[in-house]
Amino acid sequence: MTIIRPTQTLINKTTHLMRDGLNAHAFGEFGMPEALGDARWTDELILSTWYMAETGEVPDNLNFKTGKSDGGFDRLEFNYLEESEWLGHSEEIDTSLPLNRRGDSKNEIEIDIPWYGGGMSYGSVSVNVMMSRALNAKRWNTFMSTGEGGYPNELLQIKDNVITQVATGYFGVEERTIKASPIVEFKYAQGAKPGLGGHLLAAKAGEEVAKMRGSVPFVSLFSPFPFHSTYSVEDHSKHLDWIETVNPQALLAVKVSTPHDVDMVAVGSFYAGAHIIHLDGSYGGTGAAPEIAKKNIAMPIELAIPKVHKFLQKEGVRDKVTLIASGGVRTADDIAKVIALGADGCVLGTTDLVGMGCTRCSNCEGGPSRRGCPWGLTTTDVELQELVDQDWGSKRLNNLYTAMQWRLRDILRKLGLSSVQDLRGRTDLLKYISKELGE
Amino acid sequence: MLDTITSVERESRANLLTLEEFGAESARIGREIADGYDRYHIDINEVDDIDPLPHRFLVKVGKIGLAKFIAKEVLMYFPHFDVIFSRPCTYGVFSGPVGGFAPRPKLCVGCLRCTVQHPEFVKVLPNPKMLALGDSYTTHGHIAAIDEEAKRGMVPVRGQGYRGRFGGPGFDGMLTDMSEIVRPSRDGIHGRELIGTSVDIGSKPMHLSFDQNGSLLGSVPDMFTIQIPLVFDLPPGDLGSDALAKVIDSTSSLVDTLACLDAKTASRLGMDAPNIVPVLAVEDAARASEFHSARLVELEGWDAQAFEEATEATDAMVGVRIHFDEGWQGRMTNAVDSGAKVIHLLADLHGRDPNGTFVSGLFKEAHTLLIDQGRRDTVTLLGGGGIVGADHVPKAIISGMDAVALDLPVLFAIQGRSRGSLKHRDKVRGKLPKKLDHDWAVQRLVNLCGSWRDQLLEILGAMGIREVRRLRGEFGRSMVVKHLEDEAFEGILGYHGGEFA
Repeated sequence: MTIIRPTQTLINKTTHLMRDGLNAHAFGEFGMPEALGDARWTDELILSTWYMAETGEVPDNLNFKTGKSDGGFDRLEFNYLEESEWLGHSEEIDTSLPLNRRGDSKNEIEIDIPWYGGGMSYGSVSVNVMMSRALNAKRWNTFMSTGEGGYPNELLQIKDNVITQVATGYFGVEERTIKASPIVEFKYAQGAKPGLGGHLLAAKAGEEVAKMRGSVPFVSLFSPFPFHSTYSVEDHSKHLDWIETVNPQALLAVKVSTPHDVDMVAVGSFYAGAHIIHLDGSYGGTGAAPEIAKKNIAMPIELAIPKVHKFLQKEGVRDKVTLIASGGVRTADDIAKVIALGADGCVLGTTDLVGMGCTRCSNCEGGPSRRGCPWGLTTTDVELQELVDQDWGSKRLNNLYTAMQWRLRDILRKLGLSSVQDLRGRTDLLKYISKELGE
Repeated sequence: MLDTITSVERESRANLLTLEEFGAESARIGREIADGYDRYHIDINEVDDIDPLPHRFLVKVGKIGLAKFIAKEVLMYFPHFDVIFSRPCTYGVFSGPVGGFAPRPKLCVGCLRCTVQHPEFVKVLPNPKMLALGDSYTTHGHIAAIDEEAKRGMVPVRGQGYRGRFGGPGFDGMLTDMSEIVRPSRDGIHGRELIGTSVDIGSKPMHLSFDQNGSLLGSVPDMFTIQIPLVFDLPPGDLGSDALAKVIDSTSSLVDTLACLDAKTASRLGMDAPNIVPVLAVEDAARASEFHSARLVELEGWDAQAFEEATEATDAMVGVRIHFDEGWQGRMTNAVDSGAKVIHLLADLHGRDPNGTFVSGLFKEAHTLLIDQGRRDTVTLLGGGGIVGADHVPKAIISGMDAVALDLPVLFAIQGRSRGSLKHRDKVRGKLPKKLDHDWAVQRLVNLCGSWRDQLLEILGAMGIREVRRLRGEFGRSMVVKHLEDEAFEGILGYHGGEFA
């Protein structure tokens, strides 16, 4: 099969036009694109994310805080102090988050912001996107996860900020990458498709992707559900023991979705040895998932966090484990609400992609072109993946994270808190905006 | 076990079979049985549109702006023709003979790359004709999904996450559970290949009794089995036609389910088959005798005398259609008391009763009423009204139905169009495609059944449930958003209970 690579002139022209366009829209030069946005990611949320990625600042004239989904994060607000009681806006307001609370001999890791990048596999996204995220993670002393698709060699230069994911297909899982990672993440399930496993459609499983996954090109690759070696919490413990044997220093993260007994699952994971319990709610992103799964199976993250937080408290182990939440966390305001509801921090995925130009058109799985994302994000197409270069991508994410950290500190100071860790479980600082008041 | 082996050996010697020969013969018989096993399968095939839905998007290109842009490109990039002729669309919207001067909006997926790159002269807009399809309950989103499912027969798969509202009314306020480790089967890729979707129609005894000789006492279960928990219901409003009746007949036969058809129509068209369920007006109950092959006939409404007449007139089971209006509980109880083994419950097409109670609550009430009476398994409950999405099927079954009835999805699967409100069954107005090709329409409905069955398997697989019969009434494997909100947001200032009870 002959692969025709695009000329540099073509790439330069296209990226120039795209980036100019993103910039112009972020600054509102052409108004609000009418077909942009949905209830969860409104047009204003997308454009404000572009604005933050361009400037490193929050916009004045766009709603960068909430969507219009009529529930969850979009009906929660903070009950701020009187302005006279606000703290000054300062870099002294602590946004760091320790990840190892077990008090064992493993890595003592503290990240500078209470979030890290969620798993997006090589194949579902290109190396350029992975590297953009990883470079930004290094800059922010946080992490990004490989997802389940292997560990491209380029990532090794940033290995201290990369989480290796072990998922049910074991794609690309090697001892060398487990040894390289400060944190190893077991993915039991994904919020957008809980209980269904993963599926990389054939069109996106090109030669490099297939090689990385130990497969042949252009064949659909399934990550089965669940781990076929896990029938019980004891089997789960055995899994974690395996990683501990290969890399005794690594922190162990366990990613699960949000069934009705998610609280029991979390406690089971803690007793099996997890340092990080990562809950992935049902409104989260995905490279490809059955539409029926996205909304209907398992619960939104807003509803799972308090359930797990309270149960861990009741069990007396809440302070020995880091609770991370994801699945529809879009903004700094969402991050603060996640923490106020009881998590320690969160994982971002879609937000990173929107920061790099995603319009949420939902064609990540290949779309009618079968080439993947037309913006060069969720694709390994030889031409399209060149539309995102690592320097440009990581700079946009750096700007975005700068604005988000600023906003997080802004929320904290208005609540009179000098550390994000003091916000955990403070539902007393939240208020619910009922429909009557909200409209 | 030891006895068995000993007896096998004795028998083998007596018949001059060695143990090895016996093993080989056993393996041969086993293989024959396995080879003869016919796993249920719905034969989906992609079919073309005959009356496509409106495009999702409109693409507006300013011709002068485009001409200026091309001129500039030629000056800047000549002779790099790959650059000059490159298009900002990977889907071919601008790849027609004259490029952007005649865009092809039917190919647009709304990625907006064109309008971001060229905001001066390209605009992408939602198509108001698409947005106007359906009504407040059966939305353009439902119709587009049904159209795609009927076209391809596949489970719709997309990238990115959920795009809609948080929870919501009706079925939107119900979530299904999943299990992190429990599977229905470890066989196959996901363990869902062996999940059963067959449903028994009729009556099972609540227990079996045997005499001293081990012979069964009393009657044997009076039931038959269909392969999917979906039956085709009477076409609502003005949609009934001979052509549609024939399509529903053929489809229900192919996928091994049932088609409820007006008895007069069925009689006139000579439709008398095991898959046909003639629906009789109470005054025509005695005409049940005309359908010799039917396994089930239904009476439109409860009438004790009509039920008796129908029962005497046919050997088929006699089911009763009961609408969720005032006093339905009493009518259902009376019908079951009189021996009805199938109750077909009907809400309006928005899934509501006249008081506005949603069908999931109504189904649950019917189910629990029969449980309280200690005879749930003696009756099959079919439920209809408000079932317009694949996720509604498992949710209706969780709410207590054995199977659900399809009404409006049939119209949209075969690319019919509706006018006005779709709430009241008898007032639905619509039109079927002008040239309704029988085979085409059958394949569309077969595809819809295949897609909805596969999506049901996704839900069952995620829950770790091995057959759909075990899903019935499993309220504990569902979650109600309002209840979850109450638990999660209790104590938060301003929270006074979820919006949708």
